[in-house]
Amino acid sequence: MEEFDAVVIGAGNAGLTAAAALQLSGQRTLLLERHNIPGGCATSFVRGEFEFEVALHQLSGLGPQDKPFVMRQMFQSLGIMDKVEFVQEHELYRYVVPGEIDITLPASWSGLRDTLKTHFRHEAAGIDRFLALCEGIATERFAILPEIAKRNDPELLKARCPLFAQYGMQPASEILDELFTSQAIRSVVGAYWCYLGLPPSQLPFADLAMVLYAYATFKPWHVKGGSQALSNALLESFLNAGGSVQFNCAAQRIETEHGRVCAVHTEHGARIACDIVISNASSVVTYHDLLDGEAPPEVVRQDFRSRRIGTSAFVLYIGLDCPPEQLGIPCASSFICNHLDEEKAYARMKTLDAPEHTMLTCYNIDDPDFAPSGKSVVSLVCLQYGAAWDDVAADDYFDTKYALADQLLLQAEQVYPGLRAHIEQMEVATPKTMMRYLNTPGGAIYGFEQNAADSPLVRGHINVIPGLYLAGSWTSMGGFQPTYMAGFSAAEIALKARHNAEESAHA
Amino acid sequence: MPKPNQALTAVTGYQQALDLQQQLAEQGTDLSELRGNVAQQLAQLHPKRLSLRVDAIIDETPSTRTLRVSAATGSLPNFQSGQYINLFVTVDGTETARPFSIASAPEQRSHYDLTIKRMPNGFVSHHMQDQIKVGDTLQSSGPMGAFFYNPVYHGKTVVFLAGGSGIAPARSMLNSLIAREAEIDFHLLYASQSADDVIFGQELEATAQAHANIQVHQVISRPSPEYTGLSGHLSAELMQRLLPLQADPIVFICGPTGFNEHCQAQLNSLGIANRRIRVEANGTPNPPQQLASWPEGLDPDREITVSVQGRGQFKAKIGEPLLNSLERNGYQAENACRSGECSLCRVKLLSGDVFNPPQAKLRKSDRQFGWIHSCVAFPTEDIEILL
Repeated sequence: MEEFDAVVIGAGNAGLTAAAALQLSGQRTLLLERHNIPGGCATSFVRGEFEFEVALHQLSGLGPQDKPFVMRQMFQSLGIMDKVEFVQEHELYRYVVPGEIDITLPASWSGLRDTLKTHFRHEAAGIDRFLALCEGIATERFAILPEIAKRNDPELLKARCPLFAQYGMQPASEILDELFTSQAIRSVVGAYWCYLGLPPSQLPFADLAMVLYAYATFKPWHVKGGSQALSNALLESFLNAGGSVQFNCAAQRIETEHGRVCAVHTEHGARIACDIVISNASSVVTYHDLLDGEAPPEVVRQDFRSRRIGTSAFVLYIGLDCPPEQLGIPCASSFICNHLDEEKAYARMKTLDAPEHTMLTCYNIDDPDFAPSGKSVVSLVCLQYGAAWDDVAADDYFDTKYALADQLLLQAEQVYPGLRAHIEQMEVATPKTMMRYLNTPGGAIYGFEQNAADSPLVRGHINVIPGLYLAGSWTSMGGFQPTYMAGFSAAEIALKARHNAEESAHA
Repeated sequence: MPKPNQALTAVTGYQQALDLQQQLAEQGTDLSELRGNVAQQLAQLHPKRLSLRVDAIIDETPSTRTLRVSAATGSLPNFQSGQYINLFVTVDGTETARPFSIASAPEQRSHYDLTIKRMPNGFVSHHMQDQIKVGDTLQSSGPMGAFFYNPVYHGKTVVFLAGGSGIAPARSMLNSLIAREAEIDFHLLYASQSADDVIFGQELEATAQAHANIQVHQVISRPSPEYTGLSGHLSAELMQRLLPLQADPIVFICGPTGFNEHCQAQLNSLGIANRRIRVEANGTPNPPQQLASWPEGLDPDREITVSVQGRGQFKAKIGEPLLNSLERNGYQAENACRSGECSLCRVKLLSGDVFNPPQAKLRKSDRQFGWIHSCVAFPTEDIEILL
């Protein structure tokens, strides 16, 4: 029988960081991954001359070298900063509604202010107020609130986090309505809603404010070799520290004894004894499919009742036979929208109809090495719920997929005409594809819907099965930075619990 | 629900968030209806393994047979014409596998046709032809591969250049086209060594007769004296004469490696860019020392030692793909295309070096961290790998 101190289920972002952190802290750790490669979302694939980035559009939280932020510090402690090369992007995004608005926002806090004021002269006061709110709320939420919230004192919170108290948990759309007179600027500054998966009416203002502030201040980053390079580097650190990994080996069951974790069983029939399990599988799969016993603990079931499966995505991975400038692609990220109505665009995400808000990322703008010389690598994405595909018969699957791909291209060509004629390679991924590779219900890419009720501020941390920790988008926010941080923090919590148990055993 | 946080009551919207949570909880479920749901959906759409029963064995030519297989349990998954399945077999005690294109159309999925040609020095094809009987059960991967028609950008004119048993995916595409009544002009140029070697010959002719949008040209490279049809190699001149090359076709090529390279060069000489050419993956380079990039002076017959970290070691020849020597020595590695593309057989090189031929579609960061595709990796010295 094999025995490890800890087993990490799934080599996604959170699983990799958790495994590396555990092993680097001296825990003998086994990392199990059902696929042949580490990364989960953070991966790439090759077609012809092209290597396609699967999921990373803009890495947040890194900060420039002279102004390092949390991710740079975390990657440093995991020993990967000398293994990966990061490339700074210089624009946040281009936002286009053909015939209505076309604006490119720079990745700089002061530049953002100037650009917005140049485009929206009559909104100057609102712009100043908005940016002040974003900065203030981000600072309060990140640096002050976590401690203050524990102090049981509403007045103290109001005094120390005044902006968050007044605006942070209100719907983003309401604050944007208050600050601005034109819908165009609301849509332009709210475009990152699609990184969060819900329209501004359902997003707490703080979430949107923090995303914009973080990207403009700490910059969006690209990784040389794509997110796969990050995944490979994390695995390398883990292996160099003595960790063990098994690919093509799914966990099948988490065994408990007297209510606490004691082993993990693999699809190949092995039983691995351990008393720490960090699951990077979705919480739904972890509790309903992996954890032994008839039903999950009641506290988990109660938590699930107020959750909703979040959005998936529909993606075209495209290799072009021309450089980006030939198509007039000016920056890495373009939001291409048919109109300024996020609610309407969101309603579309639940159907198989043509999407109305899409995003195009060109990966070789800031990193020319990412495509073969004279060519381009592009992703064309729209958010879409997996449920939209539930009634598609197997016989209709490919037709449905290509019909929708066709619609995305038609929309992109409104802004980048001639795109289709330059396609050299293309793969289409549907929510079912996401499900295949991520093993998540509905092919969800960000975990549960991140509405106001989903915030960690209104949810307790669930810790009912001693030794079992969840890490990933299903217990925190979705996206790269949040999932890396979730893995790191799950490892810290597990290590602390082990330390405490050892202390009390000695006492 | 967790106990409300006293401090957060100062936050506008906090109570509304709690109320929303309460309301969602009242309307929601504990998600137990999703128990097993992901696994079940994946088993239908992208099963990892298929259990297949051999329903019939059809003699096509003296060297080629079609295994007609159906699902031993459940049903066969949908696929795109041109895709393959990887058949797992045990030959003389060695567990191995080989990919075979599906020769039947996805529109009828009571069975898959797998058309298998006996390879002169083949290890598996003899077993497939001689040992497998009607009623046998076989294990395979699900359908895989990127060699298929994409309606979004491939256009309405399709050219297929098939050599020998490379006709299998072409037949699937043709039959699919007919079943769908697709408005596509399909031009098949099919090369065989002799008239005896033509697979699906009559069927293809009948198909072309019955459909105005389908053209079939058969070419025999070594015709008998009495043969009157097209003969010789697929030259640029022949392609220009028979194929609608001015219509910006998408061109599929499937045949032996030499055939594929020759056809691609001819097309390039006619101004067809590689952008419009799809070449089916075609196994490991055999023999690898004939590749232009093979290290000069490296003797493919020299023996080296392969160590599998923590598990053991064995001797193997430089010229043998790592995956094959692993399998011969009882080590299992997941695999499917066995041509360098799918990356399922990815293993980590801990020390030593291997020759990666151009067909190894390695990710940039895999190169950086020493991950290789074992199906087309040739150890050039003693190596240690992580499996």
